[in-house]
Formats: sequence, structure tokens, C-alpha cells
Amino acid sequence: MTKEATGVAQAQTGKADKIRVDNDFDMLRTLVDNIREYAIIMLDPKGHVTTWSPTAERLKGYRAEEIVGKHFSTFYTREDVASGKTDRELETAVRDGRFEDEGWRVRKDGTKFWATVVITALRDAQGSLKGFGKITRDLSDRKEAEERIKKQAQEILEMATVPVVQVWEGVILVPLIGMLDSARTQQLMERLLQRLTETNSPVALIDITGVPAIDTQTAQHLIETIKAVRYIGSEVVLTGVRPSIAQTLVHLGIDLSSATTRSSLTAGLRVAFEMINLHVASHDNAQVAAAGR
Amino acid sequence: MSDDISVLRVRDVLLVTMPADPDDATVSALQTRTLDAMEQHDVKGLILDLSRVEILDSYFARTVAETAKMVTLMGGETFIAGMRPSVAITATELGVTLGATRTVLNVNAALDAVPRLSQKKRAGR
Amino acid sequence: MSDDDQGAVQIEVESDIAAARRVVREVATSIGFGVTETARIVTAASELGRNVYKYASKGTMHWRTLRNGEISGVELRFEDHGPGIADLDEAFQEGHSTGGGLGMGLPGAKRLMDEMEIRTSNGEGTTVTVRKWRQH
Repeated sequence: MTKEATGVAQAQTGKADKIRVDNDFDMLRTLVDNIREYAIIMLDPKGHVTTWSPTAERLKGYRAEEIVGKHFSTFYTREDVASGKTDRELETAVRDGRFEDEGWRVRKDGTKFWATVVITALRDAQGSLKGFGKITRDLSDRKEAEERIKKQAQEILEMATVPVVQVWEGVILVPLIGMLDSARTQQLMERLLQRLTETNSPVALIDITGVPAIDTQTAQHLIETIKAVRYIGSEVVLTGVRPSIAQTLVHLGIDLSSATTRSSLTAGLRVAFEMINLHVASHDNAQVAAAGR
Repeated sequence: MSDDISVLRVRDVLLVTMPADPDDATVSALQTRTLDAMEQHDVKGLILDLSRVEILDSYFARTVAETAKMVTLMGGETFIAGMRPSVAITATELGVTLGATRTVLNVNAALDAVPRLSQKKRAGR
Repeated sequence: MSDDDQGAVQIEVESDIAAARRVVREVATSIGFGVTETARIVTAASELGRNVYKYASKGTMHWRTLRNGEISGVELRFEDHGPGIADLDEAFQEGHSTGGGLGMGLPGAKRLMDEMEIRTSNGEGTTVTVRKWRQH
């Protein structure tokens, strides 16, 4: 068997159309060896490797003479072997005809790869078990891509939860979207204060245009944030205070007098620029000092 | 432990720097040493540098607020400089107040604010 | 750090409050709490430690690390044999204090931690247990 596998591997180095095909078995063999993504091997009824293929060698790192005759648990992690996973897989294949799994497998050099595995029980015409066919596909790339996408989604989610942007030297903008609960407020405070101190910014613009409605809880969280920003030595300019929000704030008896508030972000930016002594005005007005508070 | 507090006169103000985690005795010493120095030097105010401070509990906060009030009575203004984000957030959630103090991002910003303060007071001279 | 890491700090003199804070800071950091979370836990410990010193004059802070599946956390238990808290509801009202403080010890510590339990009986002392879980 070892000799045969090596022979096929050599034949495979030639062009595909030059491979001589003697009979049906060889034709199947050729097909198996030329499938790039799937390592197809066979096991005896006890789980020892009986045939090997070039793809299996590429994927797992063993040459045919090294692995044929060894038990297939060689490809599994120590934990999987210890828990009896390999035995269970064969038992399932015997019982149901087929076993499918996705998980970590181990290469010859000890590195792991993420794989899908299908084990099929092979029986002769009388129905007695002759062994197993095992098809392994390396999904490391897909797994990596999934992890990357998951991480990006997490970052996007965090950014969307509390976006913190430096809009000018000394001015940090937080465009809030949606309501504020306490978990989000903690995130907001932490990220905003961190950014303010990192950039030495005296002004935090918090824009609530994207906040659909203000309830007592959201207002309370805003007041807390304003207070914390004060403690590190910066000021909050709250913008996007629409008529409906202004009405709600007054009716709920919420006092936001500790912050400068404006209806539009534009007006808020103007206040922010005044606070950092940046004059955005025509020449006529330029000598008007900044301390307009 | 009170040696951990540093009291310096810088131009027209007193610069008081607190250690990372002052015990109660050190916090009490903040008040006495600041007020003594206020009396000794003719200064316009106090910059309390908290940039090293890792925790501001209610006792510490109350002492700061009281000291600021006393400094006001002695004719000075108190600036709190450099409070860390983690300390600011915790102090807010704990519910402390710092009374008659102005907060600034760092000691530099406080020193920038002081000349304006003294100009106001010495206007017309 | 293993699951059952634990220890205790005696609170008998004023400077023991700071000593307790230092221990709590070390424990919180070793569990992997971030800077702000650590500040919350240390501050809560300071408030509760000061309560022990102020109202019972002495007591003990017990600490231990917690593990609940994937989540880790810290538990602090402040035990004293002082006079006990006569009116718990009152003790939780903002601004209430019989010890000359600002009265934010209990409610403040509660806000800074995830869980708080109090057992107190008149004349037999008080046990305040607080926990904080690490968010992922």
C-alpha cells in the first residue's frame, strides 16, 4: 500500500492528461489525489491509516511512509484523544454510516488547523465493515476570515456605541445616537475622558441630535458625564437640543445649567471655538475677545 | 507620610502636589500645610496637582472642598489640575463634590489662568 | 491567580484604611480589572473600610477572588463587632451620616460595585459584603 501511494504521488507530478489510467480503481485514485482542497484517506476498521494522498501530505505534513499504519488519532489534539473523541467518531460512523465534524486538527509540526471532517463507513457487499473513508478540508482561511470579521464588527459596534472624534485641536466631538443606559454611559465617560486627556482638549462637544427622546435616566447620565468631564478640567457643550427635547427637560425638571447648551451643532462649534480662543469671524469682529461666557 | 506632599511657590501661586494614594494623615496635612503656606507667601491662589492621584474617596474630596473654601476666605482661588479620567469617573459615581474649585486639564493650564486672575485683581495699577 | 485566593487586612488604626486600599488595588489588578474598574473597587473599599474604623473603631476586611465560569471577580467582606446600623434605610439615604462624614459611604460604595449585602444587628456588629465582576 505504501509503495502504491508513493507511485501515485510521483505520477501526479506529470500533467494531468498524461496520467495513465488502467482501470476504474486507478481512475478514482487519480481523482482523489488531484483534488486540492480535500485530503481523502482511508482507515482500516480500527482506525489505522491505510492510504495516503498528496493533498493529505500537503495539509498534514506527513509523508505516506511515515503515517500509513498509524492510528488516525495522530491528527487530533491531546484533549480530543484523552476524551475519547476519536473512538466516538468511528462508533458514530459505524452506527449511522457517516460522521461529520468541524474542529481543530494537528499537523506533523504540532501546529493546529481548523478543519471539517467527514468519516464514512465502508462495507463490502455482505455488509461487513472494511474500513473508513476520511475526507478532511482545511478551513483555516475561512476561520481566520470569520475571526477577522467578528473583530471588525466588534470595533464597529464599539465605535457606533460611543463615537469619539477629534474635530479640532482642543475640541472632541461625541455624536450620540440612541438612548443612554448605565453600561453605555460608563463606556462614554471612559472613552471621552481618556480622549480629552490624551489630546489635552478643553472642550467636549456632545451632540444629542441622534437621541430620539430624553427620559430622566438619559438626562441623569448626561449630567453625570458633564460632571466627570468637569473634574478632569474640560467643559461640555451640549448640542442638538431641539424644541421637543428642551420642553421635556424643563417639564421633567432637569437642570442642565452646568453645561453650555445649543440647539445646533454649528452654534455649539462656534461656542467651542470661543472657548479655545479660536476666532472664526470676519475681520470686523475679530477683536471681540473669546471669553464670551 | 506627609512628606509625600510637595508645596512649592511658583510665581504668584502655591503649587501643591499630592501623592498617588495618600493616607488620612497625609490628606489632613494637605489642609494645614496649604493654609500655612498661604499665610507665609503672598500668593493669589492654589494649584492642587492631582495628576498622580489614583483614588479620591469621600474623605479626600471633602478635605479638598473644605481647603478650597478656606483658601477663598484667605483671598485666593483654587485650581484642581490633572485629575485622571478613572478618578474623575469614580468620584462622579461616588457622588462627591469639590465645592468652590476650578478644574483645569494640567498645571500648565492653571498657570496660564493665574496671570489673568492677577490682572483682574490688579487692574488699574 | 487561583480560584480560592484570599486574605484579610485588620483595620485598627486610620492608616490601615490605606493599607486595605493597597491590598485591594493589587488584587483587582491581578484579576485583570482595568484602570477605572480598579479605581471603583479601591474607592468602595476605602469608604467601607473607613466606616468600620469610624463606627466600630476596629474590624477586618476579608478579600477573595471569584470565578463563575468564564467570568472572574472580587469579593470584599467588611466585618466589625461595633454597634450595628440601627436604621438601614436611613443609612442608604444620600447625605445621611452619624459619623461626621458626608454620608456617602454605603450608597456610594453600592453604586461603585455590582453587588452589596449587609447583615447588621443592634449591638452585635455589621458585615458588609460587596462584589465586582469583570466585564468582557
